[in-house]
Parts: sequence; C-alpha cells; structure tokens
Amino acid sequence: MSAPKPPKGHFNILYFASASSHTGKDMEALPAPLPLRKLFDTLEERYQGIRETVLDHSLVTINLSYVEMPSSEDEDGEDNAVVIQEGDEVAIIPPVSSG
Amino acid sequence: MATLQPTQNEEPPEVGAQAQAPAAPSQQPAQEPTEISEDHIYVALTHDHLNYQSIIDQVRSPEAGAIVVFAGTTRNNFNSLPVQHLSYTSYAPLALRTMLTICRSILTKHGLKGIAMVHRLGVVPIGEESILIAVSSPHRQAAWRAGEEALEECKAKVEVWKREEFAGEGGGVWRANRDGVVGVRVDEPRIGDGKGDEGGSGNGKNDGQR
Repeated sequence: MSAPKPPKGHFNILYFASASSHTGKDMEALPAPLPLRKLFDTLEERYQGIRETVLDHSLVTINLSYVEMPSSEDEDGEDNAVVIQEGDEVAIIPPVSSG
Repeated sequence: MATLQPTQNEEPPEVGAQAQAPAAPSQQPAQEPTEISEDHIYVALTHDHLNYQSIIDQVRSPEAGAIVVFAGTTRNNFNSLPVQHLSYTSYAPLALRTMLTICRSILTKHGLKGIAMVHRLGVVPIGEESILIAVSSPHRQAAWRAGEEALEECKAKVEVWKREEFAGEGGGVWRANRDGVVGVRVDEPRIGDGKGDEGGSGNGKNDGQR
C-alpha cells in the first residue's frame, strides 16, 4: 500500500482488515503532531466502538516499525513519549492471517 | 491497495526519437517493490497465480541434496461453514520486510542453501495456492524442518490478512491466525452490544482463545 503524501500538518494512517472494515477506509490523513498515547482516543472519537472491536487487539506501526502503545493514562515521561509527526505513516495492524 | 495514480499527465514527452513506450516503470502506480531478493533468499507478494517451477528455481543449488516445497491452498470451509471465496490483503512493504527477516533467520538456523516465500494477494479461488515456500539444504532433514518453521513464522507474523466470504450469509470475516477462531464479522449491522458469539473480541492478540 503506497499512500499519497499527507497534506501539510498531517500524517497518514492506514487501516487494514477489520480496521478497514470498521472505518470504511483504507487510509486517511489526520492532523499532526499527535502524541502516540492519544491515538486510540482520537480514533475512538471518530469511529465509535473501534477501540473494543479493533484497536484493543491490534498492533501499531510508525514508518514500518512496531511501536509500543503507552496507556492513555500515562501522562508521565512527556520527554521520551513518542509523538506522531507530520508526514509519518502510521498503520493499525489487526491480528494477521496469512497462509 | 495501492492507489492508482493517473499518469497521463506525467508530461514532458521527450523530444527525442522514441517518445513511444518509455519502458513502463513510470507507468506503475507509485510502485513499492513487490519482491525482494538477496543472497539465497527470495520473498514476494503477487496477484498472479503462484508458480511451482519458478519458486523451486529460486532455491536450486548444486550444493543442495533436497528441496522441500510447501503449498498452502484455499479451503472451502471453516469449521465446516462453507466458504465461497477468500481474498488476501497486505501491508506490502512491511509484509515483505517481515518475510525477509523470517527467511534470514531460518536460512542461518538450518544452514539452508536457499529459501523462498511467495504469498498471493487478492481473490484466490477455492483450491488454489495462496502461499508457496521452498527451501533447499544439503540434506533432507534440515529442509523438512525449515519448511515447516518458515510457514509457522509466516502465519504468525507476516502482515497479510485473509478474508473469508461464507456462502449463504451476508458479509465475511477477517480471519486471525493467532487463535484459530473466526475473526471479526464485517458488513453486518452490529446487533445489541455488537458482539456475537463468534469471537468478535476473541481474535485478538491480548485475549486468546475462547
């Protein structure tokens, strides 16, 4: 999946499998920067129920690397908290099923 | 799905002799690679039929005494529910990267002479090959083991998703290899709390089997 460049001040988020079904999209651009720990809240706001149906079972990548999802209460460590930047490619990775 | 970019307006038709057929590449939709090869390793994703001969040739070696090929084919049922057809999608750049990592590790671990892994995408009619894995090694034992391990690793990690459409029911499901339950049902209004008993919350990385 090669996404077009996101507009200025945005990052791309790619939805696969159940994430794509739930959002009705393969991808979209969302405003950046966005702290990673706010990502799921942001998506839940836009797509009610997605957290329970999809996100709780999914992994997340930023620019093709898996990232650990901090819990949203984790206000600490602002300094080393991951922030999604303009131009990043984020992806929601539901449980895989190749073969 | 790669987005098709209209390329007509790609402009400057070169002034020179052959403006015609400037060897396709720029025509491709913002193409990411769909295959990677390096020493003794070949991985690929394709929408085409899978070809046994070519994957075997990828791992052929004069130092090998054995080639093992695994073919995964699409089954017509899931727990005896009739499946009408299956389709696969992928996060191609990441899936290729993961396939490469798996192959490197198995090549070294089993002292292989070659390893190749090709996964088909898009609709795969029932009974056709959705994945081929080939490995070659000096002796057969390592090849058998490596072939099995490569497949298991692939099923656990490669960013490819299978969707099964069931006959006689609306919608389909995204399968999850992890726990073998039917995945999230889609294309259906979610009734009540939205959770049927088919593992709507049970296909996850976190909550294991039901």
